[in-house]
Amino acid sequence: MDLALLLEWIIKSLVLILILLTSFAYLTFYERKALARIQVRIGPNRAGPGGWLQPVADAVKLIFKEELTPAKAYKVIFVIAPMLTLLPALIILAVVPFGSSITLFGRQVSLGITDINVGVLYIMAVASISVYGIVLAGWSSNNKYAMLGGIRSSAQMISYELALGLSIIGPILLAESMSIGEIIDAQRGIWFLFLQPVGAIIFWTATLAEVNRSPFDMPEAEQELTAGYHVEYSGMKFALFFIAEYMKMIAVSVILAALFLGGYRGPFVDQVPLLGPLYLFVKVFVLLFIMIWVRATLPRIRYDRLMAFGWKLLFPLALTNVFLTAVGIILADTYGPAFLWSIPLMSILAFLVVNYLARDRIATASAQAVSFRR
Amino acid sequence: MSEQTLVAEDIIKTRFGEAVEADGRKGYEGYLVKREKLVEVATALRDEFGYDYLSSVTAVDYLPEDKIEVVYHLFKSTGGPSLVIKVDAPRENTSVPSLVPVYPGAELQEREAWDLMGVKFEGHPDLRRILMWEGFAGHPLRKDWREAYFEEEGKPFKSRWPDGHVYRIEDKNPFAKNVDYPAGFDPESWVPEGEAALYAGMGAVDVGSNLRTDHVVVNLGPQHPSTHGVFRMVVTLDGETILKLKPVMGYLHRNHEKIGERNTFLQNMPFTDRLDYLSSMSNNFGYALAVEKLMGIKPPERAEYLRVIMAELTRISNHIFAIGMFLNDLGAYFTPALYAIQERELILDIFEAVSGSRMMCNYFRFGGVARDLPEGVLEKIRSLVVDRLPRKVDELDLYLTNNEIIRARGEGVGVLTPEQAIAYSAAGPVLRASGVPYDIRRADPYSIYDRFEFDVAVRYHGDVYDRYLIRMDEMRQSLRILQQAVRDLPEGPIQEGKPQYQVRVPAGESYGRVEGPKGELGYYIVSNGKANPWRYHVRAPSFINLTALETMAVGDKIADAVAILGSIDIVLGETDR
Amino acid sequence: MLIEYLPIAILLVISTGLAALIVWIGNTFGPRRPTLRKSLPYESGMNPIGPGTRRMPVRFYLVAVLFILFDIEVVFFLPWAIVFRQLGLFGLIEMFVFIFILLVGYVYAWKKGALEWE
Repeated sequence: MDLALLLEWIIKSLVLILILLTSFAYLTFYERKALARIQVRIGPNRAGPGGWLQPVADAVKLIFKEELTPAKAYKVIFVIAPMLTLLPALIILAVVPFGSSITLFGRQVSLGITDINVGVLYIMAVASISVYGIVLAGWSSNNKYAMLGGIRSSAQMISYELALGLSIIGPILLAESMSIGEIIDAQRGIWFLFLQPVGAIIFWTATLAEVNRSPFDMPEAEQELTAGYHVEYSGMKFALFFIAEYMKMIAVSVILAALFLGGYRGPFVDQVPLLGPLYLFVKVFVLLFIMIWVRATLPRIRYDRLMAFGWKLLFPLALTNVFLTAVGIILADTYGPAFLWSIPLMSILAFLVVNYLARDRIATASAQAVSFRR
Repeated sequence: MSEQTLVAEDIIKTRFGEAVEADGRKGYEGYLVKREKLVEVATALRDEFGYDYLSSVTAVDYLPEDKIEVVYHLFKSTGGPSLVIKVDAPRENTSVPSLVPVYPGAELQEREAWDLMGVKFEGHPDLRRILMWEGFAGHPLRKDWREAYFEEEGKPFKSRWPDGHVYRIEDKNPFAKNVDYPAGFDPESWVPEGEAALYAGMGAVDVGSNLRTDHVVVNLGPQHPSTHGVFRMVVTLDGETILKLKPVMGYLHRNHEKIGERNTFLQNMPFTDRLDYLSSMSNNFGYALAVEKLMGIKPPERAEYLRVIMAELTRISNHIFAIGMFLNDLGAYFTPALYAIQERELILDIFEAVSGSRMMCNYFRFGGVARDLPEGVLEKIRSLVVDRLPRKVDELDLYLTNNEIIRARGEGVGVLTPEQAIAYSAAGPVLRASGVPYDIRRADPYSIYDRFEFDVAVRYHGDVYDRYLIRMDEMRQSLRILQQAVRDLPEGPIQEGKPQYQVRVPAGESYGRVEGPKGELGYYIVSNGKANPWRYHVRAPSFINLTALETMAVGDKIADAVAILGSIDIVLGETDR
Repeated sequence: MLIEYLPIAILLVISTGLAALIVWIGNTFGPRRPTLRKSLPYESGMNPIGPGTRRMPVRFYLVAVLFILFDIEVVFFLPWAIVFRQLGLFGLIEMFVFIFILLVGYVYAWKKGALEWE
C-alpha cells in the first residue's frame, strides 16, 4: 500500500472535517441572519463587523459553560450519545464527490473522500444510524421531556425512512448505478430534478424530517418538550448535538444536490475542475436557504399526523413514482429518448391525484373528528 | 329600581319565600340567600329563571359586622342585567355550600375565595389553595390579616412623611426582619413540597409490573417556554395522550386585591394596568365603570368616544398579538408573532401619544379620560383603522387561515361545547368560539356601544381553530366600531367636573364589567364611604377561562395542550393577580 | 475493491477523535460546581416526580414492525434498479408483481387499522 495515498486520505479527511466545521459555524450565522431578515429584524450584528464573529463568540461561550449531568443519569451513555449523533453527520459525506479530480503536487487528486459503488446504500445506512444518538440521549437523561423526545425521534424515523429510500430509487434507475459519482455524471445532460420532480420533493420532505428540521422538529419541539432529547445537555455536549444537526443539514443538501441537481456539475466544469466545488456551494447555499425559509414559515406538525403523512401519503406516492419511472425508462428505450419526459408528466399527474385525494381525506377526517368530539 | 326588576323581585320572592330576602342595605342590590338553601336556589335560578352563567364568585369580609359575605353574580347567557345573590357566613369556621355541582365554572373561583378569604366551600371537589402556596398561614384578604411589612390600613401612608421628609419603608423595616421562618428552615436549601394533595389527584405514578406501561405525571411549567409566563400544568400522560390535567398558578401572585384595598380609588387606576399588561386600556375601562356606577356620574360624550376608541384599539392589539403567539405555540418560529407585533407597535404608538406610556397607559379617570388627543393623533388613528389595519388583518388571514398544518393542528382539538362553555363560565373569544353569541357590548351594553353598528362574532365548533378564527373576526368588527367612532368623535370636554385626586365614593357595592379582549373583565367594588375601597375584586377572564382547560385538553396530545392554552390566550399578570 | 472503504474508516477514526476532543474541551475548560439543585432533572422548574426513564407506551409499535418489513422490501428495489435497463420489459413486469404483493400487504395493514394510533 502506498504511504502517499494514505497521507492523501488523511489530509482529505481532515480538510473535509475542517470545511464542515467552518460551514457549520457560518451556517448558524447564515440561518440567524436569514431568519432575522424574514422576520423583519436585523439579526446578530454585535460581534465583529456585521456580526461576522458571532459563531466564534458562540463557540467561546459554549466552551466555558458549565456542563451538568443530571442525577441518576446513565453517565456513560449520556456522554456517548452526543458523540454518536455527531459521527454519522461527519462521515455521511465520505461518498459524495465535491468535484472532479484536480492535479495537485503532480498527483491526480479526486475531490471527495472516496467513491464506492454502493454510495446510495451507504448514505441510507449512515443516515439511519443517527437516530440512535438521539434516542439514547433521551433515554439516558433521566428526564421525561428527553424521554418523550427520544421516542418521538424513533417514531419520526419509521415514518419517513420508507419514502426516503424509495425516492432515491428514481436517480438510481436513471443512472443505472448506486455510486454517487456516476449518478452525478449521468446528469451531464439534464438534472434529475427535471426528470424526477416528485422524487425530489419526496426526498426533500423526508430529509427535513431526517435532520429534525421544522416543520418536523418534534424531537426537540421547543414549545412542547422545552428542548426534547437534549434538554439536559449543556456546554460542549450540547454543542455536539447542535453541530450534528447543522452538519446534517449541510450533508442532506449536498446529497440532494448530488442526486437531483447534478452535484458539482455546471458549465465549463470539465475544463476548469475547480469550478465544481463552487457550483456545489451555490446549490447547497440555495437549498439551505429553503430549509431556513421553511423553518421561518411553517408551524410544527403533530407527530401522529407525521406518521399518517409518511405512511399514507409519502409512501404510496414514492412507490408510484418508482413504478412510473420504470415505465418511462421502458418507453424511452423502446420509442426513443424523448419519451423520458413521460416520467415527470406521469409522476406530476400522480402527485396531483394523490394530493387531491389526500386533501379530501384530511378534510373529512377533521370533520369527523369535530363531529365525534361534539 | 325600575319597574321590571320590581316585578322580577316579586317573582323571586314568591318562588323562594323564606329562603331569600332582598338586600336592603343602601347602595346594595340583589338577594340574601339562606346558607342551607343556596344550592337549591341556585339550581332553580339556573333551570327556571335562565340565569345559567355564573360570572363571578367572591367574598367580602365585613369585619365590623363580624361576618363574611359570599357574593355571586349571575347572568343569563342570552343577555341582560345581573342577578346578585349573597350568602352570609360567620368569620369563624366560615363555610358555605359549594356551587360547583350547579355551576362548574365556580371551581377555581371558590378555590380562590377559600385561599384568600378562608371560606370553606362544602362539597367542592378539590378545595386546595390556588394562588398562595400550601402551608401559607392565614387568609390574606381578611381584614384582620396583616402582611409582614404592614404599615397602615390605607394609603396615603402618613408614616412616610412624619416631619415633611419622605423616607423609605425599607430603611425603617429592613427586609427579612419581620419574616419568621420555622425552626430549622433554610430558604436556600428548601425544596418545595406539600404538593402531595395535588399529585394525589393525578393518578398512580409508581412503576408497574412487568408488561404494564406507566402513566407519567409531567409538569409543564412554571419555567416552560410556552405557558405564557409562570403558569404550570400538571399532566398525567399515557404515552403522549393527556389523561388528566390540573392547572397550577399563583407564581406571579402579588395579592392585587389586598394592595388595591390599601390604595385610594384613584391609585388603583394605574394599578389595574398591571393586571392584563397587554390590554391596560380595557382594564382601566372596567374599573372606571365600576367606580362611576357607585359615584353616579357619567363621562361627557367626547370622553366616551375616546374610551371606546382606546378599548377597541386595545382589543386589536391584544388579538393580533394573541394570534401571533398562538402560531408560536404551534411551532411557527416567531415569524407570525413578529409580523403581528409590528402592527401592535403602531397601536402602542397611539397609546403613547395619548397617555405617555405604551403599555401601562393609566388613561381613564372617573368621569372621563386623563388627556385629550394630541394634535395629529386622530389622523394617525384614522389612517390606521381605515387603511393599514384592515389590510394587515386580511394579510394575516390570507397567509395563516388556510394553512394545512394550522388546520390539521387546530380542527377538532380542544373542543368545548356551548353547554360546557356556559357551565364553565368561559368568557370572551373562548365562549363565542363555542357558538354562544354572548358579547357584553351587546348583551348588557355599557358606555356607548349601543350606538355602533357591529356584529357579535360567533364560531360554532369550539375547537382551537375556531378560537383562532374568532380573533380574526373580532378584529374586523373592532375595526368597524373604530371607523364609526373616529368618524363621529364630537368636540367637547373630556372630564365630568373637575379632575380630582381624591374622589368621594358613596358607600355601596357595584359590579362593573366590560368585554375585554380576553373576555368578561369585571370589577366588584364595595365602598364604605372612605378614601379606600373596602373590597376590590377583579373577575379576571384569563383566570376563569382556565377552569375549562382540563375538559378541553383531556384525550388530546401533549402538543395540543400547548395549542389549547395558546388559544385561550392568558396573561399571567391577570391570572395570578 | 475493499480498499475504497479504507478512507471511510480513516474518516471515522478522525471523526471519533474530533467528537472526543470536543467533549474533552468542554470537560477541561468548563467550570464544574455541581449542587443538588443543579443536578435535578429539568422539569420546568419543579421537582420531578418519579423516575424520568420508564416504560412508556409506544403507540406506533405495530407501525414499527411494519416498517422493518417494508424497509427490507425497499432494499430489494436497489439491485433491481441497477440492472433494470438490461432486464427491460421483463424487469418491469417482475417488479410490478413485486409491488403488487407489497401493496396487498400494505392495503391489508391499512384496512386493519395498523397505521392508526388509537
